Amino acid sequence: MEQFESLLTCCVCLDRYRNPKLLPCQHSFCMEPCMDGLVDYVRRQVKCPECRAEHRIPYQGVQGFPTNVTLQRFLELHANIAGELPDPTAGQVMERCNVCSEKAYCAPCAHCDKKVCEDCKSAHMEVLRREISRINNQIRRGLNRLQDILGVVERNTTNLQTNCGAVAGEVDEIHKRLAKALKDRTDFLRNEVDRYLATELRNLTNLKDNLELELGNIQSNCDLADKYMNDDVEWEDTELVDTKEIFLKTVEFLRNFDYEAGDYNRRVRFIMTHDPNQLVMHVASYGELNITQPNAYSSGIQQNQGLTRSKSDHRLATQFRQQEEAKGWQENDEPILGGRKFGERRPPPPEKHTRDYGAADDYSGYESEHRPTRSRFRSRFVKSHLDNDSDTEQPSRTVKAEQQKEKEKVTDTEDATRGPLSGIFRLSDCPRVMQRILDVDSGKKKEKKEPPPPPKPVQPTPQARRPPPAQRQQSEDDEISRLKRQNKGAASSQEPERAPARPAQEEERNSINRKPPTPAREASSDGESDDESVGSLQRNQRKTAPAAQKPATTPRRPSATEAPAPHRPAARAPSTESSASTESSGSAVKHTGAILSIAELMEKYSPGSTSPTPRSRFSSAGNERTAPAATNGTTGGAQRVQSRFVGSQRPTPAPAPAEPAHEDSDTSSEEETDSSEESDEEPVTQRKPESQAMARSDIGPLLARSTNARNDAADNKPKETPATQSRYRTRQTSQTEEEPAPRYSAGSSYSNRYGSKPREEEPPSSIDDESKYPTARSRYLALKERRNRLARSKSSHTGFGAGDDDDQDDPVSPTTASPSAYLAARYGSGTGGTELSRSRSSHALKSRESSPERPTPGAEKDGAALSSWARYLKNKYGSRGKDRDPSSTSSSTSRRLSLGLPLRSANELASSDDDSKNAAGSPISPTAATAAVAGFAAAGSSPRSQYMQKRRLQFSVGSRGSEPGCFTWPRGIAVGPDNTMVVADSSNHRVQVFDSNGIFVKEFGQYGSGEGEFDCLAGVAVNRIGQYIIADRYNHRIQVFDPQGRFLRAFGSQGTGDGKFNYPWGITTDALGFIYVCDKENHRVQNQKLHFFHMIIEQSPFFVEHRKKCL
Amino acid sequence: MAALPRRIIKETQRLMQEPVPGISAVPSETNARYFHVIVTGPEDSPFEGGLFKLELFLPEDYPMSAPKVRFITKIYHPNIDRLGRICLDILKDKWSPALQIRTVLLSIQALLSAPNPDDPLANDVAELWKVNESEAIRNAKEWTRRYAMDN
Repeated sequence: MEQFESLLTCCVCLDRYRNPKLLPCQHSFCMEPCMDGLVDYVRRQVKCPECRAEHRIPYQGVQGFPTNVTLQRFLELHANIAGELPDPTAGQVMERCNVCSEKAYCAPCAHCDKKVCEDCKSAHMEVLRREISRINNQIRRGLNRLQDILGVVERNTTNLQTNCGAVAGEVDEIHKRLAKALKDRTDFLRNEVDRYLATELRNLTNLKDNLELELGNIQSNCDLADKYMNDDVEWEDTELVDTKEIFLKTVEFLRNFDYEAGDYNRRVRFIMTHDPNQLVMHVASYGELNITQPNAYSSGIQQNQGLTRSKSDHRLATQFRQQEEAKGWQENDEPILGGRKFGERRPPPPEKHTRDYGAADDYSGYESEHRPTRSRFRSRFVKSHLDNDSDTEQPSRTVKAEQQKEKEKVTDTEDATRGPLSGIFRLSDCPRVMQRILDVDSGKKKEKKEPPPPPKPVQPTPQARRPPPAQRQQSEDDEISRLKRQNKGAASSQEPERAPARPAQEEERNSINRKPPTPAREASSDGESDDESVGSLQRNQRKTAPAAQKPATTPRRPSATEAPAPHRPAARAPSTESSASTESSGSAVKHTGAILSIAELMEKYSPGSTSPTPRSRFSSAGNERTAPAATNGTTGGAQRVQSRFVGSQRPTPAPAPAEPAHEDSDTSSEEETDSSEESDEEPVTQRKPESQAMARSDIGPLLARSTNARNDAADNKPKETPATQSRYRTRQTSQTEEEPAPRYSAGSSYSNRYGSKPREEEPPSSIDDESKYPTARSRYLALKERRNRLARSKSSHTGFGAGDDDDQDDPVSPTTASPSAYLAARYGSGTGGTELSRSRSSHALKSRESSPERPTPGAEKDGAALSSWARYLKNKYGSRGKDRDPSSTSSSTSRRLSLGLPLRSANELASSDDDSKNAAGSPISPTAATAAVAGFAAAGSSPRSQYMQKRRLQFSVGSRGSEPGCFTWPRGIAVGPDNTMVVADSSNHRVQVFDSNGIFVKEFGQYGSGEGEFDCLAGVAVNRIGQYIIADRYNHRIQVFDPQGRFLRAFGSQGTGDGKFNYPWGITTDALGFIYVCDKENHRVQNQKLHFFHMIIEQSPFFVEHRKKCL
Repeated sequence: MAALPRRIIKETQRLMQEPVPGISAVPSETNARYFHVIVTGPEDSPFEGGLFKLELFLPEDYPMSAPKVRFITKIYHPNIDRLGRICLDILKDKWSPALQIRTVLLSIQALLSAPNPDDPLANDVAELWKVNESEAIRNAKEWTRRYAMDN
């Protein structure tokens, strides 16, 4: 047997043959590693260890040697006879260990996630064991933090209780006091009443008695007189005289007795010193619970959040953070062992490794889907995540539920003890660990060198290694990091919470931002409009009644008024909004108004006042009729609303009345005439034929203005403006929802051209009616509004100067309603001019701009009130408007307007260019405008297409170099009002200007620190009047150049104080001329008005340096 | 420090369990690849009665390469130099993985009984062995008695 044994032993490895290979010399050796080690790779030979015979190695390598089948049979035979267990490594192929790169039978190591040989694996496990003990020490050290927190929580609990108790006590106290006061007062009042009652009663009964007595006496006297004062009885003269006296007295008494009914009629009235409703409200809400940040623990978190938030002005930054947090979350969110069961292998790589442990099979199936219910840990803040996760996970879970029932049980035990915060469970509860510990304790198992359960109970790992390593193997990285994290963060627990909290908060913010406006608008529009509508209606009616306007018109007005009020609150700058709204509404009214009949209006009107939709209808309907009147009123009202700018406009109305007359004469279209009539009428107020009303509605804005002016004088129509506004509001909402600004602008521009038709075509108006229904209407209205706005903006510039312009504008506004209308509008004299004029105000961005613009029209009339900006505009447009006045009706002007408006809208700042552009645009405008309009109207997607075009490279300019047109480190770019591109060519220390086609125009500046010299300028901006504002980085100053590139002034120097810069970089300016500077190296956030430079920008006297931390 | 190959463990176990007569090989406590070896001088040889200490080290790639063996005890032998290095073919080019520690030590024992002066390592000894074998044998006995018999 011994020899037999030796025959089966490879002489190289002294082990049982494994895959014996037969050499030509008839000696056999294991293929691996024995034969492998014998190979002389240089000579490709194998030297037999037994006989030293040398054999060439087959092409395939030692594998090519034939297997000694006989020997294998013997091996099997022997194994059967001896009852040996099969070789555990049988069937395995030796691989290079991924750690020591020795050839060996490798098994995956959870520690390094590689396949490693036994030796390396054991070494790794040793490392793991050490690490576990080390981390355990850390945990022990860090555990007190948790305990501290526990203490804090307990303290907080008591604090909370005491706090709440105290507050409750206070509330009770207050309640008692209030109740007592109430009761006292009540009692007092009651007593008073009782006393009063008693006294009065007494007096009354007294009086009653007296009266009865008197009555009886007199009665008896009378009877006696009747009975005995005749001839039958003889009376003495004195007696008779006395009787007569008595009777005379009685008569006198009866005559004079005047019961002072007042004394007893006076009623006791209970009068509250305060409005009972208010009092009730006060009492009902007599206190609030102001929850301040409870304790240091949470407060710290919140503060942190606050801090981080405060810095987060930039959206991008916040977004970025959100993302990061989200990421972090997800990472953090991973369950502790990556979702595996304790001691279970990671989801095995595709290859199969046999597992030593019998239990392995049970766990093999487990994967992440098994993550036990997430820890609540971040649940509060991460809810969204969790929900998502759970959502995604659920299905898979359920699917596998059946298969894994057994397994789930196991996990459940673990889950049962899982810490709700960290997801850590008790190792001692893990079945594997328990078993392993049992084994150790009983010592019945072969001496597996399981260290006594480490601080935490050891897990039974499948391979007789200590459980803890298994844990780590699986999730070592995760776990360790997690442990560390927990050590760090658990105490504060800020990290996890914070992160989740932020997103949530941000979400909230977003939601708030998003939601509030709409609901607010709606609510405001609804509620206010309703309330106001009623009130306004009444007022209007009253006022209008005297005005002798038709009832229909009055109702309309109120509705309009109602609507506008809500809109303002919604979101826009009050002045601009109101003006815009009024204008737009006016325009809208015009459109819609045309269609509806008065009767319809009336019908609609009544419901409209109550409900928003009806209202919109109503407004639209009302627009038709009221439009004339209402528009007038609206315009006037709008102006009022607009405050500063409006005020400027108001003055204009005065001229306007004169203008209407022009309009009448000039108006080519019926509408215009109508409008003029209306305007005329409005003063009269009674005249409005429906047709006229319709016309007015179309013409709306301009007329309205003029009328307003008149109205203002008359005071009758102020409320009408609101009505127009209401419409406008509805539109606005719709616009805001659907339409991008660019579109709008374009639409407006074109609308002017086609304006005349809209009236004629009732579809638009009908549409307006339809507009009640959100979808159809919204778009439609939005389009209209935009157009209107544009129209308004125009009208404000051009129109105001000349009433004629307004007329033209008016037609435009109607055009907006229907695409076809646009064409008509173009050629016809515009009815909707007013809309156009006001349309500008509607632009959100332009709110500022618009405000200045509006003043301009007014500015013409009263220059004193005008802001510098307004003056500027006035200079530009004023002359024009005047020029136009004579030719006001001319289609050319309308075209100009139409063109100009779009241009403006496109370039907000480009308003200065309007003149040139308009002029240029007029020839082109018809076709382009029509096309654009058509597209716009048809798809409503033109802005989108434009936007899509933006993604394409239009052209590129320049290359590296110092010649004109070349750049070296260009660092800033800006677009001037004339569409020039201004580039800060930083390392060439100059500013280059290119026209809109990228053709070099000019350059200025050179290296240096003097005036007009730069040192690596960084940012460049161009304000509305074409001045260049340069952030001169290394000179720590801002320089301003005039449009010709001549130095105007510089300000700022290096430093950290106000008005000082430290490497200013980004720079921009707003419509008012405020300059915003990124003060790069001054890492602080400042926002202050530093200087009041009149000189910097002619039109805007303000200069603001806005320091921002550069991110 | 990879763990010991199975073969070394097996060899060691076998050396312990079935020691070769006249040879003892004990692994170092600190290094399982290092063996303290004692070989008795073969009978009928000038080294008879001596106990020769050797050290044996199994290199990393053992058994693919030969173990390093060296006499610690001084010995007068033509194939063993003053430093105890052994000139033995199976320790050099004739090594075969089929050989084991025990076979190597047996070979060394055999070498003691059959010196091969034709393949000398200690030239002077080999010279004398060839020229005057009796003198050489006497020297060998003397060295054995002097160096290998006290302990």
